[in-house]
Amino acid sequence: MDWRLAGRDSLARRLFASAATLTLAILLVSGLVLSALHSNYAVRTFDDQLDIYMKALIADVAVNSDSGDRSTLGDLGEPRFRTPLSGWYWQVTKLSPDNSQTVDVQVSPSLFAGRLPHGDASGKQPFARARTVVATGVDDRPLRMVESYIDIGEQGRYLVAVAADPTEVNDEVRSFNWALVVTFGVLALALLGSATLQVRFGLRPVGQLRRALAAIRRGEADRIEGHFPTEIAPLTEELNQLVSTNREIVERARTQVGNLAHALKTPLSVLMNEAETAKGPLAAKVREQSALMNDQVQHYLDRARAATRAVAIGASTPVEPVLTRLVRAFSRIHAERGVTFRFEADPGLTFRGERQDLEEVLGNLADNAGKWARREVVISARRLPGQVGGRSMIAFAVVDDGPGLPPEMRGEAVQRGRRLDESKPGSGLGLSIVQDIATMYAGTLSLGDGPGGGLAVSVTLPAIDDKA
Amino acid sequence: MRLLVVEDDRDLNRQISTALSNAGYAVDHAFDGEEGHFLGDTEPYDAVILDVGLPKLDGIAVLERWRRDGRVMPVLILTARDRWSDKVEGFDAGADDYVPKPFHMEEILARVRALLRRATGHATSELTYGPVTLDTRSSRVVVDGAAVKLTSHEYRLLSYLMHHQGRVVSRSELVEHLYDQDFDRDSNTIEVFVGRLRRKLGVDVIQTVRGLGYLCEPPGGAPAA
Repeated sequence: MDWRLAGRDSLARRLFASAATLTLAILLVSGLVLSALHSNYAVRTFDDQLDIYMKALIADVAVNSDSGDRSTLGDLGEPRFRTPLSGWYWQVTKLSPDNSQTVDVQVSPSLFAGRLPHGDASGKQPFARARTVVATGVDDRPLRMVESYIDIGEQGRYLVAVAADPTEVNDEVRSFNWALVVTFGVLALALLGSATLQVRFGLRPVGQLRRALAAIRRGEADRIEGHFPTEIAPLTEELNQLVSTNREIVERARTQVGNLAHALKTPLSVLMNEAETAKGPLAAKVREQSALMNDQVQHYLDRARAATRAVAIGASTPVEPVLTRLVRAFSRIHAERGVTFRFEADPGLTFRGERQDLEEVLGNLADNAGKWARREVVISARRLPGQVGGRSMIAFAVVDDGPGLPPEMRGEAVQRGRRLDESKPGSGLGLSIVQDIATMYAGTLSLGDGPGGGLAVSVTLPAIDDKA
Repeated sequence: MRLLVVEDDRDLNRQISTALSNAGYAVDHAFDGEEGHFLGDTEPYDAVILDVGLPKLDGIAVLERWRRDGRVMPVLILTARDRWSDKVEGFDAGADDYVPKPFHMEEILARVRALLRRATGHATSELTYGPVTLDTRSSRVVVDGAAVKLTSHEYRLLSYLMHHQGRVVSRSELVEHLYDQDFDRDSNTIEVFVGRLRRKLGVDVIQTVRGLGYLCEPPGGAPAA
């Protein structure tokens, strides 16, 4: 599983989501602000142009009011004022001295018979400054209009207005907004892309750490190696410490039980041997009690061993060397009986667990098989196809050519402390220890028939995949 | 046959040594790993009984050093550890057999007999040479069906020669393998023992090879089973 596609609560996802949200919000706000600023600017420029025309018109009115000639009025050097219904209009209204009446109205040729509305219908208040209004006028199209009162002494008062259709401004604003949307869209994509790269680059050490940990779990590495950023370097040190402490604890528990066994059993040997060579009731008592003690010691040592059984982080054991060692050992142990041991193993198998546990399982089974076999014991290890609970498994089998075991007795054989035949030496705990270990590793133990009529004991244990 | 017992528990060491001596072996003992290693390295033992848990140098290390230095005598390890990984480790280091503690002394004796027999290529516990049969299990010697009573030194001498049938055994080799290290060694006593042994057996099974030593040569040159 790739960390970039990791679950809902992945760091990468968090970083990317926050970066994306912030980027989009900032772009949206700045886009709206830019659009508003530009729109205002465009309208103001338009208004300024109207204002310039209006000032020119006022100058014209002032000059021409003396001569009373109105024919040249409003030739503002702008042909659109002459073109009918061009969208550009002016209107000069002569007012009575008290502002109450319209004495005369002159309009641009473009306006034809139309009239511009008065911004202030009452017209009573003199206006110091030009103002802009939105007027509904000719063709009922919205117009942008400036108007101004001027007072030319006895010549009278005039209301001068210039209006224009703002469609071109609106068009310009709209096209600017489009450009803005496109630009900011591209910018957003670029920022999201760079955020992805940042997340990937920034989280690369985390992925590296994850792979290092996986390697430890697979048993390919003992510790996390490599250079890590200061934020996670302490974490890797702690992890390394944890892994080695964990191994030490597992190892110490093992050693302690072994030492306890040695410490108890050596004096017990002395007692038993001394009592055996001596005569009399005391010796008999010591013999009897030391035999009892031995059983108890063995029982509780087994329990202690089972209790301290633990799997260190990342334990892994190549199978073939273990089989080689076991076969060599058992060939010597059972040399007197003329039983030969051999193994068959798929190449490159690795057990996901402690070597001691694998040796305990196979050692107990092989020892048992060696006691019953006529000529040969075969230990086999095969890679099982498919997976159980997400793990590959190895099927171990120890097969002898002895008398076998009837199916109805096989269940009993596994039970703790039960010995099926007292005539063969052994504590009888072998199979139950094997069962315990198999269960600890989520494996199985089963008894079946060997090809030569003997017993075949099969154990499945987890494997480490060749390249996981 | 000369054996070495390396066991740090003095009582247990004494018990094993006594049992082995009673069974007719010359026995040396050591109480720690270093002493045990030194003895095994310098003296020609026919077998060693080695405890795994020793002070100074543990049994596995002692065994590994012997094997690395080419010492091939059979080694029986005593271990209190029941785990197979511990036992397998012992075999890996070069052990030939193991006995778990606590044990019955007969177990040790049986294993030692088996080791000595295997080391000299004999398949059964009874060694036969002509009319002479030597039972390593009961330490008894029978000639033509009649039991012959031997002292422990005489038994050791005959046992060594019969284990190594078909090979000339020198006097010095006999001295090294028949006496423990505390014994006052004198190769002249060997001649005395051989003479007594010949008289007691009443049959001529021990040949003297002049200048070299003694030989149990089976008829026809093939080793008797």
